[in-house]
Amino acid sequence: MAMMTGNEYRASLEGLKPEVYFMGERIERVLDHLAFVPHINAAALTYDMALAPEYEELTMATSHLTGEKINRFTHIHQSHDDLVKKVKMLRAIGQQTGSCFQRCVGFDGMNAVYSVTYDIDQKKSTDYHARFVKFLKEVQSRDLMITGAMTDPKGDRSLPPGKQKDPDSYAHIVKRDAEGIVINGAKTHITGAVNSHGHLVMPTAAMTPEDANYAVCCYVPVDAPGVIHIFGRQTNDDRKCNCALDQGNVDYGSVGGEALVVFDNVFVPTEHVFMAGEHEFAYSLVERFATAHRQNYGGCKVGLTDALVGATFLAAEAQGTSSASHIREKLVDMVHLAETLYCCSIACSCQGYALPAGSYMADPLLANITKLNVTRNVYEIARLAHDIAGGILATMPAETDWKDPKVGKYVDKYMKASAGASAETRMRLIRLIEAMTCGTALVESMHGAGSPQAQRIMIWRQANLEHKKRLALKLAKIGDQPYLVS
Amino acid sequence: MVKVALKYCGSCNPQVNLRWLADKLALAAAGQGFELVPLSPASIDAMVILCGCPRACGNKDEVRGRARDCIVVAGESLDVRPVAEADLAAAAAERLLRLRDTFN
Repeated sequence: MAMMTGNEYRASLEGLKPEVYFMGERIERVLDHLAFVPHINAAALTYDMALAPEYEELTMATSHLTGEKINRFTHIHQSHDDLVKKVKMLRAIGQQTGSCFQRCVGFDGMNAVYSVTYDIDQKKSTDYHARFVKFLKEVQSRDLMITGAMTDPKGDRSLPPGKQKDPDSYAHIVKRDAEGIVINGAKTHITGAVNSHGHLVMPTAAMTPEDANYAVCCYVPVDAPGVIHIFGRQTNDDRKCNCALDQGNVDYGSVGGEALVVFDNVFVPTEHVFMAGEHEFAYSLVERFATAHRQNYGGCKVGLTDALVGATFLAAEAQGTSSASHIREKLVDMVHLAETLYCCSIACSCQGYALPAGSYMADPLLANITKLNVTRNVYEIARLAHDIAGGILATMPAETDWKDPKVGKYVDKYMKASAGASAETRMRLIRLIEAMTCGTALVESMHGAGSPQAQRIMIWRQANLEHKKRLALKLAKIGDQPYLVS
Repeated sequence: MVKVALKYCGSCNPQVNLRWLADKLALAAAGQGFELVPLSPASIDAMVILCGCPRACGNKDEVRGRARDCIVVAGESLDVRPVAEADLAAAAAERLLRLRDTFN
């Protein structure tokens, strides 16, 4: 099969029957439900942009397994160039969607699992890597969209998986036989869960021998028996009706459409099991996935910010404030903050390196720095956008009132600001800024790809502090230090 | 004698002590049929590329192309296999000895 178009991706979802719940209802048909359509549209763009000549240098890759042209979201990084192109691709797509396009999570998961299964096989003489490569070829040839299902509910955070009161607080193996394994538990915040083809389940933390059954990595089709999706609420999600203006970003929505994915005695055939008890490799998998995913945020979030800066500048023009020097300074600050994040993502890609499997990963220290900066810079960018947009961001009348036969004329009259822009133009811009900076959209920058403390832990581990101490000892002339410290 | 040259990455922010490693390697190679040569001569049999971190900036085609064989230390790894810093010198020396045998 060839790479899919966006519409072929949509058609491919037609044949799937995932068990999905939202707002107390079983959703029989995901494809045209208003809660999911924007997320499906955003994911579809990852397909269409792979086939667009002006983007294909970034969005298309050549499979190292088959030599075939593939969508980059199914590629295993083979070089620094691949790592850099990934970041650039994410920025380019983010500029078009103005929201999360979901597909990077599975992309990062596949890259992590590819390298870690190789390492497991080298040490344990297992055949996980060969299984994964076979699976990956199928993903590439069918151009599948796979989630990265890593985060467990975790129960009591002070206890490891094996000591939880509820054993299902972490996804785990409850049965093994010659045919495969059975898993129980759940994964939370799973991006693109209801509109993907399947889930790549991965452990969420380092594991001890007592946690061996929790060290599980496998692939589960989205409509496998026992897989239940409970779609999460978002700020303003009740605007996903026919009020297009009030949604702000009607085509692509906000964030990625996350769900709680429950595994209720789900059978996984052996061919789709990529780790089953090798607890000593769980940390490597988490670290490599987290590195890959944190690398992304100076790509996609910068693409989104490009659109946000445009919206904010246009809003200032519509309101007649764009020539004020403080507005220009604030727009410059927004660009500065965003491009700083881009610098981080490009840097961690350029400083990436090869793994024993032959694939490449970004530099873990710099990737974590990238994401930690995102937890701050994106909030500051949003603050500046709010500052420039004004209080109307929080008080603007509804689209229905603007269209109302009686009061609509007043809304139109008083929402119009500068002579060059209509009330509708200003209202659309304000709603877009609201959609991109308020509520769920902002939280995603804090906790997506791991909370700030997770990045701090990795930074502490990777910082090579002993080397820094040796440098200081030499300069302070403490002890017998060499002329050049290395 | 097998001619061995050392190539450093540049040591911008090393995770391992490359000078210490090079000294240990030189000690292990002494009297074992190796001649440590500078990078300048055209004839180099084996290149030991010493990089302070996994980025392996010294591991370039133009460097590798100057010798028949190469050994790459990149942070706590030897030829892309994880090796703890304390074991790096011994592992690299063992690799050098195996290389030497292929020249005889």
